[in-house]
Amino acid sequence: MSEPTEAKKSLVKIELIDQVGVISLNRPDKRNAMVPAMLDQLNAAVLDTVTKAQALVLVGEGSVFCAGFDLKQCANDPSGELMRALLTGLSTCVRSMRAIEIPVVLGVRGAAVAGGCALLGGADVVIADEQAKLGYPVVKIGVSPAVSAAFMLASITPGAVRSRLIDTKLLSGIEAKQIGLVHETVDDPDGVRSRAIELANTLASKPGSGVRATKQWLNEICAPMSDRAQDGLDVSLSLTGSQEEQERLAALWR
Amino acid sequence: MTTDSTKSSNAVTLDIDELIATLTINRPEARNAMSIEILDGMHAAVDQVAKSDASVLVITGAGRAFSAGMDLKAVLIELSGDPDLGEALLTSLARLTLKIRDLRQVTVASVNGAAIGGGCGLTCVCDVTVSHADAKLGFPEVDLGICPAVIAPWVVKKLGAGVARKAMLMGGVMSGQEAFEIGLVDELADDRDGLVELTQKIAQRLATGGPKALAATKHLLNELDGSLEEKMVLKGAKLSATVLATPEAQAALSARLKR
Repeated sequence: MSEPTEAKKSLVKIELIDQVGVISLNRPDKRNAMVPAMLDQLNAAVLDTVTKAQALVLVGEGSVFCAGFDLKQCANDPSGELMRALLTGLSTCVRSMRAIEIPVVLGVRGAAVAGGCALLGGADVVIADEQAKLGYPVVKIGVSPAVSAAFMLASITPGAVRSRLIDTKLLSGIEAKQIGLVHETVDDPDGVRSRAIELANTLASKPGSGVRATKQWLNEICAPMSDRAQDGLDVSLSLTGSQEEQERLAALWR
Repeated sequence: MTTDSTKSSNAVTLDIDELIATLTINRPEARNAMSIEILDGMHAAVDQVAKSDASVLVITGAGRAFSAGMDLKAVLIELSGDPDLGEALLTSLARLTLKIRDLRQVTVASVNGAAIGGGCGLTCVCDVTVSHADAKLGFPEVDLGICPAVIAPWVVKKLGAGVARKAMLMGGVMSGQEAFEIGLVDELADDRDGLVELTQKIAQRLATGGPKALAATKHLLNELDGSLEEKMVLKGAKLSATVLATPEAQAALSARLKR
């Protein structure tokens, strides 16, 4: 019996539970680390769910929501091509989550680090377990988290964005709630998925087009900031394949 | 001491005591829900404050509620018989929020009880919000299939967009304590009696500021955060009215009123 190759495996799981579309990042043996195919599948799943559900949940299979980009693969790619594909795919996913008409609830179990934490920028409601680790510690590997800046600024205070993107410290779920990155914490990590679905059900049960109109209107109010997402992506892209990045990535496995 | 009580409309009373003006929404039997009458009264009172020598304006409600939000009887077409009344009300509220924000005076919302929907939005327009632990605040518009579009720009400015997004999309109401925790309320008293004292203390403290310094600071903050741009708030009134007129929203409002 042969295992299916990574490329053919479904890196994103999609379920429809009543009116709620539940998308799970599905690479639990790699802490749901992102590869370009996962981001392509995630984006397709997000755009597909909007036609079938009244609310969307994004969670991770296993004990960790998402550890960020799969850096081992990046370290073996001096061209920077893979890093560029990851950054672009990530930016596309976050923009799709924000743009779709239905609300998005994101549940962080265990950790949402770097690219994993960037996904929070597209969500309308974020929950996490109290002990989860959240943050963007990517400058230490020579990568700029600029790709996340526009959506962070359309979410938490400018002061908090600055320190979160520049300081490599990870916050606990409780600390992340204090700065507004997370709206609600759950004490038991096993409860994250069910609570996220419960919140999405509440959103899905509301009458008429109020939720959709309100989400769209909030997007319009925040547009002066979130419309700059491309500028942030361009800054992150400009550093890919740099000597600094290559040396620091290689050092991770030295 | 000069006390100047006005009854341009008894739905709203205005009391100016030297440096501190107090505007009271005065329809306790209707939980101070915003009807055309109340909105007209508030416009007149705010115009009068703008011309006065007061440095601080306190806004509060008579009775047990601050304001239950838009007058549902006026926005339900089957009751009002006037499909344009909803947009007229929302546009009046939009203009009122802009007028209050642009006041030279520092504004304090003293949330004595329920501040719901548009009533809660009104608190976000003020510079400082005080309340007590058992008050009820929130944005249940989406629960009725409608959209809090007029007040959304103010809620985003008050709470930051991320917290505002959750509060407005999830709907429902929260306690004064919870509102304090997310930054909707700036200072919290233990109970209703404590709020009267706290409001007085804060209004007096604010009144110690130089009127020119307060006005210049407020104006700068308004410029920096785009508070003087009318476009989004007025566009919000149109959007809110459009959603309000949909059959789903009218059905949900009708069901709520019959409860």
